[in-house]
Amino acid sequence: MQQLQCIFLLSESSGEVMLEKQTTGHHVDRSICAWFWHQYHHHHNNDQMSVVTSPTHYLFPLIRHGIVFLACTQLELPPLLPIEFLSRFADILSDYLCAGAGVTLNEDIVKDNFVIVYEVLDEMMDNGFPLTTEPNLLKDIVLPPNLVTKVLHAVTGNSSPSVGPTLPHAAASTVPWRSTHPKTITNEIYVNLVEQLDASVNRDGNLRRCQVYGEIQVNSSLPGFPDLTLSFTNPLLLNDVRFHPCVRFRPWESSQVLSFVPPDGHFKLMTYRVKELKKIPIYVKPQLTSDSGNCRIYALVGVRNDPGKTIDSIIVEFQLPPCITSADLTSNHGTVDILADKTCRWSIGQIPKDKLPSLSGNLVLEPGLDRLHVAPTFQVRFKIMGIAMSGLQIDKLDVKNMPANPYKGFRAQTQAGDYEFRS
Amino acid sequence: MAPPVSAPKSASPSQPSGKSEVTDLKLQLRQLAGSRAPGADDAKRDLFKRVISCMTVGIDVSPAFSEMVMCSATSDVVLKKMCYLYVGNYARCNPDLALLTINFLQKDCHDQDPTIRGLALRSLCSLRVQNLVEYLVAPLAAGLKDHSSYVRTVAAIGVLKLYHISATMCHDSDFPAALKALMLSDPDAQVVANCLYSLLEIWTQEAANSEEAAREIETLYGKSIIYYLLNRIKDFSEWAQCLVLDLVSKYIPSDNSEIFDVMNLLEDRLQHANGAVVLATIKVFLHLTMSMTDVHQQVYERIKAPLLTLVGAGSTEQSYAVLCHLHLLVMRAPMLFSSDYKHFYCQFSDPSYVKKLKLEMLTAIANESNTYEIVTELCEYAGNVDVPIARESIRAVGKIALQQYDVNAIVDRLLQFLEMEKDYVTAETLVLVKDLLRKYPQWSHDCIAVVGNISSKSIQEPKAKAALIWMLGEYSQDMMDAPYVLESLVENWEEEHSPEVRLHLLTAVMKCFFKRAPETQKALGAALAAGLADSHQDVHDRALFYYRLLQYDVAVAERVVNPPKQAVSVFADTQSSEIKDRIFDEFNSLSVVYQKPSYLFTDKEHRGPFEFSEDLSNLAIGGDSGDDVIHSAQRYEENDKDLLLSTSDKEENGGPTHNGSSTYSAPSDVNSSLTSLVPSSTTQPATFAIDDLLGLGVPDAPALPPPPALSLNAKPVLDPGTFQKKWGQLTVSSSQESTLSIQGVASLTAPQSLIKHMQNNSIQCIASGGQPPNYKFFFFAQKEASSSFFLVECIVNTASAKAQIKIKADDASASDAFASLFQSALSNFGSS
Repeated sequence: MQQLQCIFLLSESSGEVMLEKQTTGHHVDRSICAWFWHQYHHHHNNDQMSVVTSPTHYLFPLIRHGIVFLACTQLELPPLLPIEFLSRFADILSDYLCAGAGVTLNEDIVKDNFVIVYEVLDEMMDNGFPLTTEPNLLKDIVLPPNLVTKVLHAVTGNSSPSVGPTLPHAAASTVPWRSTHPKTITNEIYVNLVEQLDASVNRDGNLRRCQVYGEIQVNSSLPGFPDLTLSFTNPLLLNDVRFHPCVRFRPWESSQVLSFVPPDGHFKLMTYRVKELKKIPIYVKPQLTSDSGNCRIYALVGVRNDPGKTIDSIIVEFQLPPCITSADLTSNHGTVDILADKTCRWSIGQIPKDKLPSLSGNLVLEPGLDRLHVAPTFQVRFKIMGIAMSGLQIDKLDVKNMPANPYKGFRAQTQAGDYEFRS
Repeated sequence: MAPPVSAPKSASPSQPSGKSEVTDLKLQLRQLAGSRAPGADDAKRDLFKRVISCMTVGIDVSPAFSEMVMCSATSDVVLKKMCYLYVGNYARCNPDLALLTINFLQKDCHDQDPTIRGLALRSLCSLRVQNLVEYLVAPLAAGLKDHSSYVRTVAAIGVLKLYHISATMCHDSDFPAALKALMLSDPDAQVVANCLYSLLEIWTQEAANSEEAAREIETLYGKSIIYYLLNRIKDFSEWAQCLVLDLVSKYIPSDNSEIFDVMNLLEDRLQHANGAVVLATIKVFLHLTMSMTDVHQQVYERIKAPLLTLVGAGSTEQSYAVLCHLHLLVMRAPMLFSSDYKHFYCQFSDPSYVKKLKLEMLTAIANESNTYEIVTELCEYAGNVDVPIARESIRAVGKIALQQYDVNAIVDRLLQFLEMEKDYVTAETLVLVKDLLRKYPQWSHDCIAVVGNISSKSIQEPKAKAALIWMLGEYSQDMMDAPYVLESLVENWEEEHSPEVRLHLLTAVMKCFFKRAPETQKALGAALAAGLADSHQDVHDRALFYYRLLQYDVAVAERVVNPPKQAVSVFADTQSSEIKDRIFDEFNSLSVVYQKPSYLFTDKEHRGPFEFSEDLSNLAIGGDSGDDVIHSAQRYEENDKDLLLSTSDKEENGGPTHNGSSTYSAPSDVNSSLTSLVPSSTTQPATFAIDDLLGLGVPDAPALPPPPALSLNAKPVLDPGTFQKKWGQLTVSSSQESTLSIQGVASLTAPQSLIKHMQNNSIQCIASGGQPPNYKFFFFAQKEASSSFFLVECIVNTASAKAQIKIKADDASASDAFASLFQSALSNFGSS
């Protein structure tokens, strides 16, 4: 049976149990958390498996914002069910507890609002099976704390029930993601193309692989029952797409347009992948030569196919191999830091107009080692505002069923994902 | 698998001691209990919060139970929720006190506000106290008929909770029937889904003992219900969709057009934002198309993109789980993924378990078109900072070399690794070069030249050292200083800690001796003496064995220890195809993540009867009644996992006829050489002065008596249950491929014809199934006047006129004789 038997929330830093929710008659002892905590610290953090077998249960840990969301079960189930559920739970908590507050979710916020967390979890899951995970529906049943304090506190002065006054009628509606009684309406919609560029370049400077994962994020605040159509100038370059449930499938099949009735607030309208891109915006040329216990390092960073917009927040990072005892690195632009875990971080920012940023220095190898046998990988991070590197462009957004024409805003940005250069 | 000792519920040191806090809370609650003063609710709320936070950090606040219940008479919803939470947590340990809560919960079940009704009902059902079940029935019955869908969803799950507390009470109140009616009529999709969820669990649990429940389950998997659910699929929440899709994956459509209808309907689910829905859909597609090889391949093509996107775009947690599924598919049909190899390149930031999976996939999909690219990529990983991954990459290069015919470039690369002078790289490479030489002896000259330059002193790892020693022994005629290297190794016998290395050293010195006796004689004597004195039993035994063998006859010893070897064509696979197939059946489950079928790791008590039905039970027994066969043929297709294997099972055809283990071990070598002695080989390698050396004659090798002709019992009896058990217990003793005659293929229009034919040869069929061109049979036969059985799995493809035969035998020694008998019977098929 597809069933999670218990959900724990732990602090990632201390392992303290912040919340425990038993969902079935089978009681999961919280000693499992201590067991997990022990395991977690014995592994390298990065190598935490997504499914952990404990002596008694299967654990699905999901770590977000310094909080470990831990689901336990003894039953065979689709592994993505708990993983997706937990990540949805984490998203919803962020939305509930932090939306508009200008902070990200953290331990303290969860501890301060644990009653809300219990209430939300209670509605999200019954008997260990996920139930309602639509944020709009949930907000009808359990009011978010901000609204509670802001609106109701102002009105009544004292009483502040966090339970909605009415029931979610939308449960019976055909568009469950759209609340039937939207709150504040500003009559505007923002569409944001966010792309992540993955690329790897091998030792010889050849592009081995380059692809884009993109998301269309929408923030909608429209009255009534708006019917929207979003079209692209070049939809054919999309390789694989996934949609929010509000997107109608047929129009996409026949003419590659997104036709949908949007939920309120932030949501991910579509995710897509574009493979086999040929051009990367920025390159790194690392050179390492070593002999008699020393390794000379020289790395150059430059723009290759000018995207036409400024490339921002460029950071180059590489891991110093364990066999290096000391490193002396300087750069002609930006700052170089060597972090505690032997990561060398070169923060460049923007590339200056007059020169190419370069990093040079000397690495001293362990005694007894003549040459460096391992080759570090240089990872690059950057951000480009105002452009989607895949080349995807929004053609237009048509709005139907609306009394007044809303304000429409469009943005795009690209950032580096796994963007690496091998030396 | 012992459960962890449940830790005493002690508060962590950082927490204040609970005792006084609880007493304090009790006192304050008591004061507030009856208060109707303004602001009392706020005060209560603060207190409740404190109680719950104590509960959350693990302090036992159950002593305050009665006070909490007293305070719960309130109209404040938040207070109620906190109270429900508290009660739900402690009712189980305080069944007597729980009775106190029944009253107010029952009252709340009649509240005007549907939210309260729903919450109260949920809490009531979550008390899970055995002696309170009678109070559940009425509110549940009312809840199922409530006009608010919210309450109905709660009630539908509530029935399941009641069932787990008291199954009889649930049945007595006729709740399953009510749920079924609700499922088929309710306008709210979530209610329908919850009913389905509860019914599935209730009936699945009952099915083993009750025929009625089994029938009900059949109805759930039947056409009308499946269609009813499929038509509403888009109304369901994403989680309910997963549930429905799981149900559909077990549905058996009546014909192909139905299959296409279902797939067309579900195609857009592949683009759902929820990865769980996507995987559930993929499972449906794979299972529906099992019997249609072409379409099945198209399904692979179709699901590739969504899977690759999920791997790349999702969170790390998600991406690993999906990658495991992708891994499974890639291993099944590597050819279909050969052009996507770039997706399996490792990223620096991938965790090492992800890299490991990717390396395995890269190895599997390497073929003529992409080998160069893949090997180039893998070679870059050899310089990886992550040493285990660097090792794994080198092994991957070696495996690819063993798969490919054109190994020229790869061998060069491997030899370059040796020049890197990195200890672990050298070690891994040596092991690989050894395996390569066993398969491609023609490369020995190139390899030996490089290997000869490696100093045995620089190698520490036993496996690598053993490999080097093996090469020294095997190619001692080509390596000038082999006897001297071996001699120095023998001199350091005492310092060699690994028995594996010492075993290899013994064998290598022997081999070297046969080729270059004068130079090695001294080393051999020293090695045998050291071996005889060795404390390790195997080393001692082998030394003694060699010594006696040499004493008996040097020529025989040479044929035993160093016979001319056949190149190994295929190295055996570690995971049996049966296990792989089983995992494939359990697609979209933890089995895939663990790479083990669930029966190997899940607890017995949690297994549903459906997931684990043996495939044999789905096949027609005996295959006489025509109706049964058609029905079972479809059932069979659902379970047939071998169809796609044609692309991937090349590693199996060779079977265990060649050296099975991938690590070289001398004993098996000796065995195979002993058998090769039997047809008394005439090619005696040139020997010189060996007789003088040990002064022994050369008697002829004793000829073994020819194996007695195998005769079979004409009317053996074996019931399907025993067959199944035996099949599970025995290992495959022989696996072969055989060709059918053209007449045979022509007459194999239905399984019956072959069954009759085999019967005439005293081989009985116990189960059969399949549709053209693929048939699968299970046969058995019994040795005359003996209790030993032979079990056979035979997969016939009429299109290629090939049959794949797997034989398991009680008496493995007779299995070869039986195999030839079976083959001849099969090849005669159609000609008589």
